[in-house]
Amino acid sequence: MNMNVVLVGHVDHGKSTMIGRLLYDSESIKDERVEEIQKLAEEYKRRFEFAYFLDSFEDELKEERTIDTVSLMFKSEKNYYTITDVPGHKEFIKNMLTGASHADVAVLVVSAEEGVQEQTRRHLFLLKMLGIKEVFVAVNKMDAVDYKKERFENVKAEITKVLSSFGYLTGQILFIPVSAMEGDNIYRRSERMEWYEGPTLIEALDGVTVEGKEKPLRFVVQDVYEVEGEKIVVGRVESGILRRGDEVIFEPSGIRTKIEGIRVFGDELEEATTGDCVGVLIGEEVKRGDVGGTVEKPPKPVEEFLGEAVLLGKNLKKGEQIELRCGTAKVRCEIKEIKEKIDSETGEVVERNPDEINEHDAATIVFATEPLVIEKFAEIPELGRFVLVENGRNIGAGVVLDANF
Amino acid sequence: MGLKELENKSIYIIREAYAEFENPAVLWSTGKDSTTVLALCRKAFFGKIPFPVIHIDTGYKFRQMYEFRDRVADEWGLDLIIARNEEAMNAGVGPGDGKFECCTKLKTEALMQCLDKHGFDALLLAIRRDEHGIRAKERVFSPRDEEFRWNYRDQPLEMWDQYQAQSKGQSEIRVTIHTRVHPILHWRELDVWEYIKQEKNIPVNPLYFARDGKRYRSLGCEPCTSPIDSNAKTIDEIVEELRTTKIAERAGRAQDKEKAFMMQKLRALGYM
Repeated sequence: MNMNVVLVGHVDHGKSTMIGRLLYDSESIKDERVEEIQKLAEEYKRRFEFAYFLDSFEDELKEERTIDTVSLMFKSEKNYYTITDVPGHKEFIKNMLTGASHADVAVLVVSAEEGVQEQTRRHLFLLKMLGIKEVFVAVNKMDAVDYKKERFENVKAEITKVLSSFGYLTGQILFIPVSAMEGDNIYRRSERMEWYEGPTLIEALDGVTVEGKEKPLRFVVQDVYEVEGEKIVVGRVESGILRRGDEVIFEPSGIRTKIEGIRVFGDELEEATTGDCVGVLIGEEVKRGDVGGTVEKPPKPVEEFLGEAVLLGKNLKKGEQIELRCGTAKVRCEIKEIKEKIDSETGEVVERNPDEINEHDAATIVFATEPLVIEKFAEIPELGRFVLVENGRNIGAGVVLDANF
Repeated sequence: MGLKELENKSIYIIREAYAEFENPAVLWSTGKDSTTVLALCRKAFFGKIPFPVIHIDTGYKFRQMYEFRDRVADEWGLDLIIARNEEAMNAGVGPGDGKFECCTKLKTEALMQCLDKHGFDALLLAIRRDEHGIRAKERVFSPRDEEFRWNYRDQPLEMWDQYQAQSKGQSEIRVTIHTRVHPILHWRELDVWEYIKQEKNIPVNPLYFARDGKRYRSLGCEPCTSPIDSNAKTIDEIVEELRTTKIAERAGRAQDKEKAFMMQKLRALGYM
């Protein structure tokens, strides 16, 4: 199975070290890279650290912190992992979101020495918003607290409080005492914490199953090509199954038609499943941004919806116009109402009906939009998430909470 | 990811780039990765790649690369543009001037001149995250300013598959002049070979196959590329070799190693 894992947490709590350790212990690091890092460590008069496998920018090594997100791959006995490291500084939240948006599973790394810190909370809030439900907590740096169970329990209690304030079901979340530096309970079971009987980090990750819920067909149109006199509508099956012969409706264009054929280069298909990029023959004009679904469960365009978004690099005022992208659709919309301004560190509502929200704030917002096919994030996440764009720059992102379909 | 999933994602990216940009082009070194990107483009557009294919010619490429290039360009009906920094080549710039200097002049600047001349606003490139630490930091859509600089300290927010496609000149602070598009960023070296094996019709440069116990694992310019010890003479044997090797893919590429952070410095200036 393929699994995308993101490591989140406060700066210096050991995320990069933990990934370096996973790569090293799973024997995914090339010998040459180890030598290169040893040489660099000498040059910079530092001790060899696993984190150096990840921080590839010279600035990152000099400043001893991760600036940008990075994805690396390794293989356990059971799964192929793409593991993503994200920066722990507030100024790099944008990079954290970029890295976290692809994750199936998150590992929250908390230092046993420092416990919960600002970015511990913020990252948890953002994970919750992104809908990442599977979370493990790695209580790291156990070597620095003499592998004491008591310290682990204290940190665990502290994190549990934060988790439940964000609405996580804390009874189901696994806490693992680890030392990434020393390799305890990451890949190898620790002999120094015999009081802990649960799985190691890799055992926990290997045990995750990604549920596949049955969802209605949504085919997102990317483009229309003309190939040897034939119009082929190309796009991706975002959810469900597309079958030849399906009666479908494309919205917001409002075109009802039939799937006459499914094409890929050099072949014709009877059906296409979720994730497939195919071309369809429909004998009608649709356009980029349209979404197709079967007549039984058709997509419904909306002109207003409630979303929760986080802002990066910009303030946003009530009444302001902004561009919004969802799937391949690009529409103008208006900030009709800001219901709640939310502190992205604590997840608390700090103001109701404000006129403005600032960079790094989260908010629940009513968007008035040109006709747009969206879905509730809880139902079809692929079409329940959007980015906000200004001058061609992605400046915010969010999920759809509700709409009048 | 399975090959099907990898392919789907790449095709999605290629079609997004074609829809979002006015004047894209794809870069082709004739190596395994960029030839795979061409094969994916052919799939995305049902056989005919609707934009130009650029080959940067430093004059130092292997003879087999030129032969391969011309044969494939003909077979696939490519709209081939050969980009050369004639001025630097006439002035005799070569690896003797230092690898950093040579790569910058003969590759980066040749590409700059080509972009200037044709006004491309997007460049499809076959870099992969697992090739080099610095490439692991890339976005799928990665903007470059007028001097080709990669502002790696302030990369775009790129969530889910919402790539940032700024059109030319759009941005308050720095002017995006072209965007690098990376359709196989998420592939591993082994995936590329397994895909070539599965597809059967992707041409492979003969330099990749072992002769007298050596083969090239990554292709660059002849003076700066060395072969690795290998007995892999077929695609199947290469796949087998890569499943077990502990040697880095770019071990034979001199420009990565001259000094620490060389790739970062090259890439910040617009190197691929």
